[in-house]
Amino acid sequence: MGLQVPLGAWSGEQPIYDELKLQTPENIFQKEEKDLRLSDGLLQSKQCGKLIFSPQYLRVLPCIGCYKRKVYQPKGALHVSASSSKKILIMGGTRFIGVFLSRLLVKEGHQVTLFTRGKAPITQQLPGESDQDYADFSSKIQHLKGDRKDFDFVKTSLAAEGFEIVYDINGREADEVAPILDALPKIEQFIYCSSAGVYLKSDYLPHFESDAVDPKSRHKGKLETESLLQLRDVNWTSIRPVYIYGPLNYNPVEEWFFHRLKAGRPIPIPNSGLQITQLGHVKDLATAFVRVLGNEKASKQVFNISGEKYVTFDGLAKACAKAGGFPEPEIIHYNPKDIDFGKKKAFPFRDQHFFASVEKAKSLLGLTPEFGLVEGLTDSYNLDFGRGTFRKEADFETDDIILGKSLVTA
Amino acid sequence: MAALPLARSFASSSSSSLLFSNLASSPSTSLSFLATSSLSLSASTNYSYASPLLPSPRRVSSLCSTSSSSSGRLVVSAAEKKKVLIVNTNSGGHAIIGFYFAKELLSKGHSVTILTVGDEASDKMKKPPFSRFSEIVSAGGKTVWGDPAEVAKVVGGESFDVVLDNNGKDLDTVRPVIDWAKSSGVKQFLFISSAGIYKPTEEPPHLEGEVVKASAGHVGVEQYLAEVYESWAVFRPQYMIGSGNNKDCEEWFFDRIVRDRPVPIPGSGMQLTNIAHARDLSSMLTLVVENSSAASGNIFNCVSDRAVTLDGMARLCAQAAGKSVNIVHYDPESIGIDSKKAFPFRNMHFYAEPRAAKDILGWKGTTNLPEDLKERYEEYVKIGRDKKPMEFALDDKILESLKVPVAA
Repeated sequence: MGLQVPLGAWSGEQPIYDELKLQTPENIFQKEEKDLRLSDGLLQSKQCGKLIFSPQYLRVLPCIGCYKRKVYQPKGALHVSASSSKKILIMGGTRFIGVFLSRLLVKEGHQVTLFTRGKAPITQQLPGESDQDYADFSSKIQHLKGDRKDFDFVKTSLAAEGFEIVYDINGREADEVAPILDALPKIEQFIYCSSAGVYLKSDYLPHFESDAVDPKSRHKGKLETESLLQLRDVNWTSIRPVYIYGPLNYNPVEEWFFHRLKAGRPIPIPNSGLQITQLGHVKDLATAFVRVLGNEKASKQVFNISGEKYVTFDGLAKACAKAGGFPEPEIIHYNPKDIDFGKKKAFPFRDQHFFASVEKAKSLLGLTPEFGLVEGLTDSYNLDFGRGTFRKEADFETDDIILGKSLVTA
Repeated sequence: MAALPLARSFASSSSSSLLFSNLASSPSTSLSFLATSSLSLSASTNYSYASPLLPSPRRVSSLCSTSSSSSGRLVVSAAEKKKVLIVNTNSGGHAIIGFYFAKELLSKGHSVTILTVGDEASDKMKKPPFSRFSEIVSAGGKTVWGDPAEVAKVVGGESFDVVLDNNGKDLDTVRPVIDWAKSSGVKQFLFISSAGIYKPTEEPPHLEGEVVKASAGHVGVEQYLAEVYESWAVFRPQYMIGSGNNKDCEEWFFDRIVRDRPVPIPGSGMQLTNIAHARDLSSMLTLVVENSSAASGNIFNCVSDRAVTLDGMARLCAQAAGKSVNIVHYDPESIGIDSKKAFPFRNMHFYAEPRAAKDILGWKGTTNLPEDLKERYEEYVKIGRDKKPMEFALDDKILESLKVPVAA
């Protein structure tokens, strides 16, 4: 039987505990013994894949991770429920993060409006989304058409609507946010999608929310926005993701690897390939955005949101291969200083260590990402690239420069 | 995007298989992300891993229940003083742990005996921290010497509440201590293992519960301990700095920096490692002693909050010394150098995070390398090590093959 966990299992409701009460370790052990297989000399539950002890070391235990996870709640997990339906504005919302976030909010029963120029379709059916769900969502989502750079329009249109909550998913500059705050003096919460890119580069990692930021970074607009929010003293929350991935990603993160894997090409990675980065699944990010809504613990706080584990560049190439069912890739390291790529970008990640600690969100908000790396990349592959969809066409120009060079040099 | 069944959510992620309980990470049950997110996560207590030997239904149901009675597990009975025995190694990077731990326990009113392996008269005792054991004695601690295999005799038949083995690296060495502890009624057994037993991964950091190298000696001890003891905890440290250290750490960098010598670092210098101040290890151990039931049955990465790159460590040491640094990278293989002999840290990412201690015990790290290294440098100069004549044979060999001049 194993531990089939019903939806809502994490809500801490009594039913799940009652169910588990019936399963003492001995019971689970008896059930699962036949479901074990050997891996590395240790037994592994076929059901969940977690290692459990083998008899020659310890008694065989049920997959204690599964069992235990049902009862373990992180410290500081708190009562979160958006008790009443709110009138919510999402700046953006039709491209990536907002697509998932808006669905969660609508399902919660909120009245959600997307502010976009209308260039992209307001709604699109997600891969794997049922017609029913999509129809339901489409019927409820609202659209406010406009250009957020038209500050006067923003101010008047928002004031007219009187939104209680604003999610700013696509804001880059502080001056884009000021009119929103002006328009909504009674705003209950302004939730901002900032970026871990604001952190000052460091040898001493991971980045914590309290670390030094770089006023000269490419993301200084995000910093200035965070400062503005503090200055205006609204109830703000700022989320700093690292690299976001998942189905519909318009940034060629996983897509970059998938193109090469599909084409059977080697993966060119700059320098040692030991640079450590961090990916966070868009669905986990959307969950985080919902978790901070109406949450006193999130008031005037910054949170890093990303995966719980980091990954090396080489490791990421291999993880993408696993996710797409490709054989282990050939990885070619090169010195980017030796090559002139012109204006083109040869690799989608910053050539440095770049990762942030997500423990603040975990301890303050009880947020634990759902997706591990390979699992999340598999989700992305199955729902997007693996179905033949992608945002950018494959472009191997820089790869060929690198490969051409590596044939020449020793 | 329907709710994924439980099995699917644990599709193998190469490096995140669980061995011991992994509290800190791993994806939770795969709920459909569309599920209602109005999760009523009432503030709840932590449940420590049930000992494999005593999974009585009663204990299980107390794990399952959300009754507030289980909240008693996290209460620290501050009044409860313990009698602690530390079995300490007589050399190496871990020796300092027992020294800091003893002093912290004593400062908190616990009673401490530290059993150092070997002879009190041995030359090894002339080096720190042993040369400073008078500090333990004047704080009210007891120092004895002997063979851990004869621990009962060495401690003169005394009994203890807690034993920390900060000595053995394999079961042959630690088993006699564990067996004696169990038979003499020691309630809590702590073991200093090593984060070096983690299987290398491309998804850092190493987290408690992840796969370890089955062949590692420490693993045998960990498993035996979990098997025979009810209240146990295992600690996996990396590198340490701190006054009284028996093994060079930051000194290796200072030696070169103060003499204006290049600092040869193998590989790219991007390798991450975790260097903690010994006081962090001591505070984690003390927290475990004072919260024995919450801590029981757990593995704790005994490291600081952050990792530092090898190049970064060189830079921080130079900063602490107020000097510049000339870092030179080399490929040990192509020069025919064993980097283990030439360099004090592993030539690879070696990076664990102390998540279990934080999640379960609310432990907080205090290591602040930039600040701590300043203090270390002050002591380095105070003892006159900056003036000490030194040989750099391996460095010279490396620099010669790279055609790098020794003098700046």
